[in-house]
Amino acid sequence: MTAPTASPAVCPRCSDEAVRTVAHSPVPDVWEVLQCARCLYMWRTTEPARRTSPGAYPERFRMTAEDIATALEVPAVPPLAAR
Amino acid sequence: MPYDDLRSFLDTLEKEGQLLRIPDEVLPEPDIAAAANAAGRIGEGAPALWFDRVKGFTDARIAMNVHGSWRNHALALGMPKETSPREQVEEFARRWDAFPVPPERRADAPWQENTVTGGDVDLFAVLPLFRLNDGDGGFYLDKAAVVSRDPADPDHFGKQNLGTYRMEVIGRDRLALQPVPVHDIAQHLRTAEERGEDLPVAITLGNDPVIPIVAGMPLRYDQSEYEMAGALRGAPMPIATAPHTGLDVPWGAEVVIEGVVESRVRQIEGPFGEFTGHYSGGRRMPVIRIERISYRSRPVFESLYLGMPWTECDYLVGPNTSVPLLKQLRAEFPEVRAVNAMYTHGLLVIISTAKRYGGFAKAVGMRAMTTPHGLGYVSQVILVDEDVDPFDLPQVMWAQSAKVNPREDVLVLPNLSVVELAPASQPAGVTSKMIIDATTPVAPDVRGNFGTPVKDLPETAAWAARLRTLLATR
Ligand SMILES: Cc1cc2nc3c(=O)[nH]c(=O)nc-3n(C[C@H](O)[C@H](O)[C@H](O)COP(=O)(O)O)c2cc1C
Ligand SMILES: [Zn+2]
Repeated sequence: MTAPTASPAVCPRCSDEAVRTVAHSPVPDVWEVLQCARCLYMWRTTEPARRTSPGAYPERFRMTAEDIATALEVPAVPPLAAR
Repeated sequence: MPYDDLRSFLDTLEKEGQLLRIPDEVLPEPDIAAAANAAGRIGEGAPALWFDRVKGFTDARIAMNVHGSWRNHALALGMPKETSPREQVEEFARRWDAFPVPPERRADAPWQENTVTGGDVDLFAVLPLFRLNDGDGGFYLDKAAVVSRDPADPDHFGKQNLGTYRMEVIGRDRLALQPVPVHDIAQHLRTAEERGEDLPVAITLGNDPVIPIVAGMPLRYDQSEYEMAGALRGAPMPIATAPHTGLDVPWGAEVVIEGVVESRVRQIEGPFGEFTGHYSGGRRMPVIRIERISYRSRPVFESLYLGMPWTECDYLVGPNTSVPLLKQLRAEFPEVRAVNAMYTHGLLVIISTAKRYGGFAKAVGMRAMTTPHGLGYVSQVILVDEDVDPFDLPQVMWAQSAKVNPREDVLVLPNLSVVELAPASQPAGVTSKMIIDATTPVAPDVRGNFGTPVKDLPETAAWAARLRTLLATR
């Protein structure tokens, strides 16, 4: 594996460290697709820093554990019908 | 001659000079989205874009902006590419009258060539996925049609729904789905979840060019999108049976993804840059588990860019939102002449109508808000006279500037329903709505000084023809 595909330790969006690789480039060692297990953010290692680097990731798109836990349910799960 | 698949339509676009092949190698991000975004910024008549040299991929074929100009939209419906937006809407409305045209079931669908199932399902192995906008939570399928049935009436062909719903790839075999509550699939899912059952779905990607038009069209719940496709094509829509779910899918699709919406499950999704020109928030939304993928060899991945309007999405849902509203209004009010619902899927609508009596136009505006689509979208209605073309915005602005007495002609109605994605709604999903009556008052509404309008001279029509001829033969 070459340097550009090395996984960062943390998610650029929520700073969680549980990051896994979901895909490798068909041409070997060009990029990987990574995903955060907590906020499900997915990114390719060759994307611009504003999407991949925790330092450069815009404040307005960040997510916290609290945001995830309190996110609106759309659509809401309906009550089970009595049967 | 209608198109039975995407590939034959791409051939036509190329022959018509409406497909641009990008010769250089591009990065999956940000190049593909930025190029498609730019297609909407280079003026009229933008072409579809084709990418087959994408860094890191060995075998990517990506089509963007296929419906992304009036020319391409006309060609998709088999009209000459010069056809004006208004003429496209009128022809669309004429073809509607042939509805319903029963579909034609065909065997040997090309997507039967390749199949993966169960643990072998991996979206990344089939599709060259990529991100659109900076704040998007991931990679999306945003130009796919999703097919589902009413669990309470599974044999009703018309209640089977085919709709465009964007889906976020949240795993190799998992997608998050956004069923807006006023849409048909939300009704199917609600019934399934009340019973504690999964909802089977088939997702079809890379369709013939009429499918995206009917899949994004606000038809009545029990009206079949396939029977509408037949009317618009002028020939029966070819369909085939999806092998895993038994759902009816377009025969000519590039890729058919089958699985279920898992009952009573929600997972974090988004944000996604939406048709409103704003991001949806991160919400907890339903999840699809993929169980089988069928695909044509060397599949074409079709996607669309959406962001700050206008983008491909606006061309795609312009005419197909205007015509259902026109038909639904005219069914009760034959005075309605034309409807332009091309702004943000009909959040704003312009209606031209004759007046039965004083106050009539305002009633037409209220009715537009209570159509099935209106309940979730129509928030501002501008009414203009029967001789004002609602597609001619300078004329509409003239009517509004000259005919409106704001205190009497602008009605604001509080606390009505709207899609929760509407950025101005407060709280999300609730909004006030506005009617601007820019028609000329008629008796017994005797307000204003409209008795002496200046009309085009009787000789003007002949002179217009004469000027055109002189210009053409100069
Ligand atoms: C590109 C695109 C993406 C869309 N995404 C969604 C979506 O995620 N959820 C949704 O409910 N509607 C979405 N729509 C709108 C519906 O497809 C459209 O309103 C359609 O008329 C729904 O019809 P139905 O209620 O008959 O199923 C999208 C439309 C387009 C063109
Ligand atoms: Zn994260």
